[in-house]
Amino acid sequence: MKERPRLTRRGLGQAAAAGAALIGAPLPLRHAFAQSGPANLKVALLLPTSGIQALIGQACRRGADVANDVMADMKLPVRLEIVNYDTESKPDVARTQAEKAIDAGAHVLAGAFDSGQTIAIAQVAEQRGVPLIVNIAAAPQITEQGYKFVVRNFPTAPMLITGALALHKEIFKVSGTTPKTAVLMSVNDTFGTAMINGIKALFPRLDMPYELVDTISYDPAAKDLAVEVAKAKATKAEMLMPVSRLNDAKLLVQEMVKQRWEPMAVMNPGAPGLYEQDFLKSMGKYGDFMISNVPWLDPKSAMTQALEKRHLAKYPNDQLDLNGGFTFEAMLIAAQAWMTAKSTKPGDLMEALRKTKIDQHVMIGGPIQFDAKGQNVNIKASAVENLKRKPTVVMPLESAAAPLVFPMPGWNDKRRT
Amino acid sequence: MSLVRRLTDGVPPRALWALGFLLAGLLVAPAVLGKYGLSILILILYFAYVGQAWNIMMGFAGQLSLGHALYAGLGGYVAAGLFFHYGIGPWAGVFAAVAAAAAAGAIVGYLGFRFSLAGVYFALLTIAFSEFTRLAFDHWPWAGGSGGLFLKVDATVDVWNLRGGPLLFYYLILALAVGAFILCRALLESRLGRYWLAIREDAEAAQAVGVPVLRSKMIAVVISAALTALAGVWNAFYYNNLFPETAFAMGRSIEITLAPIIGGLGTLFGPVVGAVVLTGLGEVFTDASEYFQIPGMKQIFYGLALLVIVMYRPAGVWPWLAERLGFGERRP
Repeated sequence: MKERPRLTRRGLGQAAAAGAALIGAPLPLRHAFAQSGPANLKVALLLPTSGIQALIGQACRRGADVANDVMADMKLPVRLEIVNYDTESKPDVARTQAEKAIDAGAHVLAGAFDSGQTIAIAQVAEQRGVPLIVNIAAAPQITEQGYKFVVRNFPTAPMLITGALALHKEIFKVSGTTPKTAVLMSVNDTFGTAMINGIKALFPRLDMPYELVDTISYDPAAKDLAVEVAKAKATKAEMLMPVSRLNDAKLLVQEMVKQRWEPMAVMNPGAPGLYEQDFLKSMGKYGDFMISNVPWLDPKSAMTQALEKRHLAKYPNDQLDLNGGFTFEAMLIAAQAWMTAKSTKPGDLMEALRKTKIDQHVMIGGPIQFDAKGQNVNIKASAVENLKRKPTVVMPLESAAAPLVFPMPGWNDKRRT
Repeated sequence: MSLVRRLTDGVPPRALWALGFLLAGLLVAPAVLGKYGLSILILILYFAYVGQAWNIMMGFAGQLSLGHALYAGLGGYVAAGLFFHYGIGPWAGVFAAVAAAAAAGAIVGYLGFRFSLAGVYFALLTIAFSEFTRLAFDHWPWAGGSGGLFLKVDATVDVWNLRGGPLLFYYLILALAVGAFILCRALLESRLGRYWLAIREDAEAAQAVGVPVLRSKMIAVVISAALTALAGVWNAFYYNNLFPETAFAMGRSIEITLAPIIGGLGTLFGPVVGAVVLTGLGEVFTDASEYFQIPGMKQIFYGLALLVIVMYRPAGVWPWLAERLGFGERRP
């Protein structure tokens, strides 16, 4: 007869030790982590550096990685202790990471690129009374919830669209050329659908000079956009407004070249894709002269120049874009609050954040200041045109690094080299 | 025989004692753990609970569902929507949420079982339903569309409206997990439970001996969907925001299946042990990747660890552990 396994004290002890090791293993690492470094302002940077948003999360992080050096270059007497936490592109992980960061002694939280993750972190910040500086997240609700410990240095989705469409008019005015018709092509994911709905809602109110003749949606995982581009071409629209991600932006332009569709402009109403490094590398000369209307780094700002220099030195193969810019600014805001508060107490820091006024920063727009809801309303959209494989600010004129080229030259135009 | 006697019949006394200690430990855990520890424990209980709900379908009745996010998402959206638009509290809204998810489960189940879709074909059906529900919610203004549905966050504790801090949600998910555990035990000990096991082992043979196969499978999918919807309601009020892209995501459905698979399919303690192992491993690798500052390191080692567990403990961790501890829970 088979002997029945018995629970011995040794067996129970081993099982308990194994269980405790499994659950408790993070603790020594965490505490070691928490106790390292000087007693500075400890900023927990929560970003999706793995998972579906990893590329953007890492681009954000690079902006923070050089923040201390840039602030030193700018003679700001401050040095932050920045601790990175990965949200894995998931709101539930973002929440536990925020709890962990606060338990490890974080004085300020910053992040988290995505609205769902940011809201999960915001709730922890509110419950624990620790300030959260939102680097990127566009859902208006973040600053409409009455949070007392949240400030956001990024435009809301309606601000993004309104700013971008206002820039369209400016571009037409400066160039003296106005398209009469436009076609909107958009990915049908969360972002794309929200943008289409926002554009449709705001379009009649903004008195745009062109007519939207069609809206064509497609799957973000599409492998071929031949039909969609043919449909858009058939509308004979003079301007294409793509609401794209990276890969579909590449497919779109490839197909446009293949089908020899040369509209007057390819100009997005506030979306990624066209300005991204991988797009510019893959598309070569065909990626030039496309315009993104998004918040961007002010090339005329001394701080931007210092940031670009440090970024280039540390990450020579990576482009500095708005993700890095806004995340750098989140660090700058934390540093400024610390200098004003002269304390790491959450209440003092939050009080200082409410009074923030930073004139010298990196993104285009007025001083960084937060309204009663914690929203920075001074961020301005800019027109970023791809010139010689580089996203270049062409509007507003006071920040322009190069003159606007509009209408877009044809695919075989000699200006494309 | 009394209900308690029936539920504990055949369970070794030491297992009952261990269960009692575990429950007592969980009740006092918030007093001992920090906020971070509590948030980890909440995740463990959440995955244990949804794993238990999924286990009814796959572990007991042998029907593979890879679209359980559908029921969690529906439950969350219905209760949150009723609260957001009409001020109907979640304790009332939960009935509508459960009804909606159970109806969805009944539709999926009827289509699948009536037309004899089994195995991967049934799994594909569950994925399809989850996906087109996601697309529908992406374009449904009542649910906030793709821009998401946000619940107003309130710092005050209001149990009736499920507004409050992690402690409230901890005890709620603990109650749900304990309740689901007891319910599953009762179901397994019932005639219906025996039918499910017979269907799982050989549906045709079960039918031949008079087991009402279609009805039993339908009850399994409806109960499983209803329980999952409760988790969805809890999740919606805990996180206070819902996006179709995450609420109905394939990844979420996969997450629901992992704890019972790793812990032991068809066992009562499998989902609990699986949730402890997975969340524990996840935290270990998260800390390690933060320590070494290598993004994505967690996912690689987490995947490798799962591979090792599946290779060396194909029946799950719990049957092996139970044997070592002498608890002797057999895979029914």
